[in-house]
Amino acid sequence: MNPIRVLVGVLGMDQHELGAVGIARMLRDQGMEVIYTGCFNTPETIVQAAMQEDVDVIGISSHSWEYLYYTPELLELLKQNDLDVPVVLGGSVITEEDAGKMLDKGVAAVFGSGSAMTDMIDTVRNLAAGAATS
Amino acid sequence: MKENATRSGINLSPVYGPSDANGDYSRRFGNPGEYPFTRGTRAYSGRGWIQRELSGEGDPKRSNEQFKYLMTLGQTGLDVIGDSPTMSLMDPDHPLARYTVGTQGVSLCRHDDYRQLLDGIPLDQMSISSSGPSMFTVASLYLLANERGVSPGVLRGSVIEWPFYSEHCSYAYKMPFDLHLRMSCDVIEFCSKEMPKFHGFLEDTYFFSEAGLNAVEEAALGFVEIRHIVRALLARGLDIDSFAPRIAILTNCSMDFYEEIAKIRAMRRIFARMMKEEFGAKDPRSQAVNIAVHTSGLSLTTEQPANNIVRGAVQTVALGLAGVTALEISTFDEGYRTPSKEAHLVGLRTQQVIDLETNINSVQDPFGGSWFMESLTDEVEARILDMVNDIESLGDPAELVSSGYFKQFFHGTMGRYHRQVHDGEVLKVGMNVHQMPAEQDTLLRDISEEKIEPLFDRVEEISAYRDKRDQKPLLDSLQRLHDVVQTDENMLEAVLECTLAGATMGEIAGILRQAWGTPYDPYGHLESPIGSTQ
Repeated sequence: MNPIRVLVGVLGMDQHELGAVGIARMLRDQGMEVIYTGCFNTPETIVQAAMQEDVDVIGISSHSWEYLYYTPELLELLKQNDLDVPVVLGGSVITEEDAGKMLDKGVAAVFGSGSAMTDMIDTVRNLAAGAATS
Repeated sequence: MKENATRSGINLSPVYGPSDANGDYSRRFGNPGEYPFTRGTRAYSGRGWIQRELSGEGDPKRSNEQFKYLMTLGQTGLDVIGDSPTMSLMDPDHPLARYTVGTQGVSLCRHDDYRQLLDGIPLDQMSISSSGPSMFTVASLYLLANERGVSPGVLRGSVIEWPFYSEHCSYAYKMPFDLHLRMSCDVIEFCSKEMPKFHGFLEDTYFFSEAGLNAVEEAALGFVEIRHIVRALLARGLDIDSFAPRIAILTNCSMDFYEEIAKIRAMRRIFARMMKEEFGAKDPRSQAVNIAVHTSGLSLTTEQPANNIVRGAVQTVALGLAGVTALEISTFDEGYRTPSKEAHLVGLRTQQVIDLETNINSVQDPFGGSWFMESLTDEVEARILDMVNDIESLGDPAELVSSGYFKQFFHGTMGRYHRQVHDGEVLKVGMNVHQMPAEQDTLLRDISEEKIEPLFDRVEEISAYRDKRDQKPLLDSLQRLHDVVQTDENMLEAVLECTLAGATMGEIAGILRQAWGTPYDPYGHLESPIGSTQ
């Protein structure tokens, strides 16, 4: 079986990269292929990279409220491009309430700073498996 | 963390004794105010430290109200941070800035913004520490002082120079390293002549150490940068004693209590010896470095935010014992936002309680002569010097920036810290130990989670402002700056001219990039107002 391919990036002017780098390493340690896009992404650059790299899951790390605006734009753009790739959000700045809002808008999963590593890994695996069969 | 070891991995004995600390008192310590300044840069004054809290949110007017509020609470210095676009030399109407204008700091892009920001603030009395891009902060402070009939020579405060690490940690200028270094050197040279009481060269080790660095790594990378900038200034033919008195350092303070105190004592000694023995500084003020501190945001948690108040207080006690010049506490809501009004109050009151109620300032360097602390200071110092040496032996540090060495280094430390927290190697109460269910974790949560909305109005305002300016003098000044960049002339005069002609920070930065042969807008959205010059 081919390794799971995950895009990990940060949106807009958010330049707090620690969580994104940490998650990317963690997923790589699990044998996944991580396409790390770093900072200064927009929904357009994420979608473009997701298509080019044929990823199974998109992971967005956030330490700025910009994600509240960009995430719905990203979901919409994925739809417009007929790209059925689940989006996972992570970051300590995401409150319970906002997590609920993002899930309602179509985000596949949300993780806060205290989330267990095993939960995050299992979720990415399950989502990738789901995306492969859909 | 290994048991009985510091965050940097220095093993600790359970008990220390006379055999652990040796050495000649005057050579290794000296009295406070005496070389090598291990025990403090000044003789005892009992005045304590400058107390301030990180501020700046929304537009300049709202931030000005915030400053005045903090001053009524007894704040003795200003500490201003720009929002992410401002910190990255981007105007608010740039397409990439839109959703974050004013949300994580104040939005500043033109001279009139600084007029509003500092309205009613006594420039000759208040120390202004700005995290904003140094060239633009200095230009506006200088112009503002002149406008108000205050001599720029009496201005106090600091601006950060970060040519080495800003691209990889926190705030990218998207500029070639050589250009960023030139900007830093021009600012330092200008300040040493025109604003001699102002620190035109604050080495900020705080922001990059938040990439998960330990105390030794933080100080070592700081010294690598200081040494490179000092060499660049000397290569201009400047005398070391003309600028070194105004070098200051802003460090982090993690929860590793003893090691952080040792780090600050070691940094003072390393700086003194480096300036005197290596760079030949004769003025004692060139050898004595003021160290200010910002307590660690990374040590805080979004879980159980009230715990962060305790962390800030403990770090403040450590810094009071280490003898720092100024400090700001990362507040309880730091995990989510820049400080709320309530967090400002708690942060400042924490400093005041420790300053006024505990007798902490009645004795200078109380740890001096402690077998343990002197031994730890020696060990931290030795490791910092080894690491500086190791990095410099890899080649020209400027090449290391360009080749991505530091970027790799920071990715390594970020990954390491992330793992340490997830593995429980670094313990954080409320996050990876003594957790509680979300429904019980309510203390201070409402305040911490309150958002600052992006300023869409300001985006419109700045966009409309562009056409309202008198175009001829504006374009002439930008063209002149473009020409000056291609000479060895200090760029500040030309930047002052552009600023007065109404140019925005984004435009000036763009012209600098363009004159350097790189794109005006690194994100590819904007055109240069002076057209193509290739």
